[in-house]
Amino acid sequence: MLDMSTKVDPMTEIRTPKMAAKDVNVFYGDNHAVKGISLDLYRDEVTALIGPSGCGKSTFLRCLNRMNDTVATCRVEGNITLDGDDIYDPKIDVVQLRARVGMVFQKPNPFPKSIYDNIAYGPRIHGLARERADLDEIVATSLEKAGLWNEVKDRLDSPGTALSGGQQQRLCIARAIAVNPEVILMDEPCSALDPIATAKVEALIDELKGRYAIIIVTHSMQQAARISQKTAFFHMGDLVEHGDTTQIFTAPKEERTRDYITGRFG
Amino acid sequence: MTSAAIFLTLVLLAFIAFVTVRQRSLASVSGDTSKLHSLPRHYGYYAAVCALIPGLLIFFVWVITGKNIIEGLVISGLPDGLSAQYQEQASLVLNRIRLAVENPASSEKHPDILAAAQQFHALYVRGIWATFVLAVASGVGGLVFANYKTNPDFRARNSFERVLTILLILSSVIAIITTVGIVASLLFESLRFFQQVSVVDFVFGLHWSPQTALRADQVASAGAFGAVPLFTGTLLISLLAMMVAGPIGLMSAVYLTQYASARTRKIAKPVLEVLAGVPTVVYGFFAALTVAPFFRDLGEAIGVEIASESALAAGFVMGIMIIPFVSSLSDDAITAVPKSLKDGSLALGATRSETITNVILPAALPGIVGAFLLAISRAVGETMIVVMAAGMQPNLTANPFEAVTTVTVQIVALLTGDQEFDSAKTLSAFALGLALFLSTMVLNVFALRIVRKYREVYD
Repeated sequence: MLDMSTKVDPMTEIRTPKMAAKDVNVFYGDNHAVKGISLDLYRDEVTALIGPSGCGKSTFLRCLNRMNDTVATCRVEGNITLDGDDIYDPKIDVVQLRARVGMVFQKPNPFPKSIYDNIAYGPRIHGLARERADLDEIVATSLEKAGLWNEVKDRLDSPGTALSGGQQQRLCIARAIAVNPEVILMDEPCSALDPIATAKVEALIDELKGRYAIIIVTHSMQQAARISQKTAFFHMGDLVEHGDTTQIFTAPKEERTRDYITGRFG
Repeated sequence: MTSAAIFLTLVLLAFIAFVTVRQRSLASVSGDTSKLHSLPRHYGYYAAVCALIPGLLIFFVWVITGKNIIEGLVISGLPDGLSAQYQEQASLVLNRIRLAVENPASSEKHPDILAAAQQFHALYVRGIWATFVLAVASGVGGLVFANYKTNPDFRARNSFERVLTILLILSSVIAIITTVGIVASLLFESLRFFQQVSVVDFVFGLHWSPQTALRADQVASAGAFGAVPLFTGTLLISLLAMMVAGPIGLMSAVYLTQYASARTRKIAKPVLEVLAGVPTVVYGFFAALTVAPFFRDLGEAIGVEIASESALAAGFVMGIMIIPFVSSLSDDAITAVPKSLKDGSLALGATRSETITNVILPAALPGIVGAFLLAISRAVGETMIVVMAAGMQPNLTANPFEAVTTVTVQIVALLTGDQEFDSAKTLSAFALGLALFLSTMVLNVFALRIVRKYREVYD
């Protein structure tokens, strides 16, 4: 079982990965989508997964909270750990895992409920609030952390779907934060947003850095360079290269990485 | 010469027109089709249409009005004695003439009738030949016209397209006119009914007993036309049906969309929809011979008196019948909920059933409500099961263990057998029909509005 109260020694925290993937293979039927990937993800860092479409980066991301379970033909091999515990252990509670590893999707997907109920959804399911006041508190702090509080505090009862695209995406981030996750996965969170909304979400990611391990899939190399500390470059299901973002973008070791970041393909 | 011969001649003519004009179009450019505006066959189609349509119109006019006109002519030519008799018993005289025409060896002896029959026959033969000549002449005319118009610049393709458009419009107009006709006939007969029985008595009366005296000297009840017991019976049975079909249909839809594997779904869904294909009369005897006795015995076992014809049996079987309506429409509504919402909920650590009750069903709710309303209007209009399983007694009761009757069953009862169409008893069927039509129409409009409103949300 995963233990919610796992404490990590502050001195060793930096060197102990929050999540670690070892030799992960993913198949969709006969299609070998992710090929033997090993990658460590750290608590206080933003890790960007970049690469051309169909390179397996989103598939890999969805392995980290077992969202691939919902795809009937998908098969995952290899070993992924959260704080050292194997998340594909048959004894693991997937529901608990997803509470610890939150996710933000490509397209904002607020529920057709009020803003308040959108945020309160997770806490209610997991019984995080005893009283209404506790729930109000969680909703308020989550919205504050997501930088949305000032924009919506007077209309918490209006539907979440009535917000603008950028606000909806920040609402979804607030919704993920509300269940107190340790890791937040983001699957191209800005691809459906305009540049101004994108800037706000990027600023928010920067804010959240350090409190949560953040893994973000992005198509924009500028975005990866702006917000991430670590970058992993995927190509055709392979992890070609990973390392510090500055190193990847200034002195890539692999030719394929260099070709990609200079825009020669992809 | 028969009507069929006229029709076949016209078809033959159209075929000839197609072949000759197609050839002519080819000949006009000496075989080089690239110089033609349209393909050769389009010229052929156009010619066939020109040859066929006017002839067909003439043919239909003859089929619809021919006999009536001739009958009018024959009647007006009758000698005075018969003419006077005709004033009183028009249909009788006409029938004797018709019989004499169709069966020359009949026992008809009246010389005037025989003369009239001969005149009728002569006129009929003349009429049908006239129709034939006119139809063929117009067909040939059409052929010549199309032949004349055929040149490389003529846009036969577009013209033929226009003909097709008109044909399609005509088809939909026929459907609409039929509906209007049905409503109008209901309306007129109902108005005749309401001249004899007041609307208030009909709508608010608590007693239904439509037996009235046929002749003035008969002793019979005055008849009571209070439709309330019928509508409560309908309501009771529909409610019972929805109590069965609602949960079962909805839950099977949830299972099929959310839990079943693709293979199970591929098998189970069509099987479930077979239920909708079972004839209602089969459900009827299932209800009457299997379910009703079962409920009666069950009632005996637990000490409740359940009539062998009960609202419960009818409602239960009707519920089974409308399960596919509820499940397949709810299925559509649930499938239309975007997967991103489901993923969003799962990613927050919700279980599958939490996701279904908290996110998927609320999002699909308008569609599900629409499905329920459509199923109810189907249940309200159902007749056969109730006739066979719920009895004919207009009871004003909310007890599902008793026999009740519904609006549709009463309509059937009122209109089966020999009826005279001027008594309140018979006419009341039309009033019931109108009331039923109005209520199901309101339900349908309501349901469709809800379904449409919800479609806009996720498109």
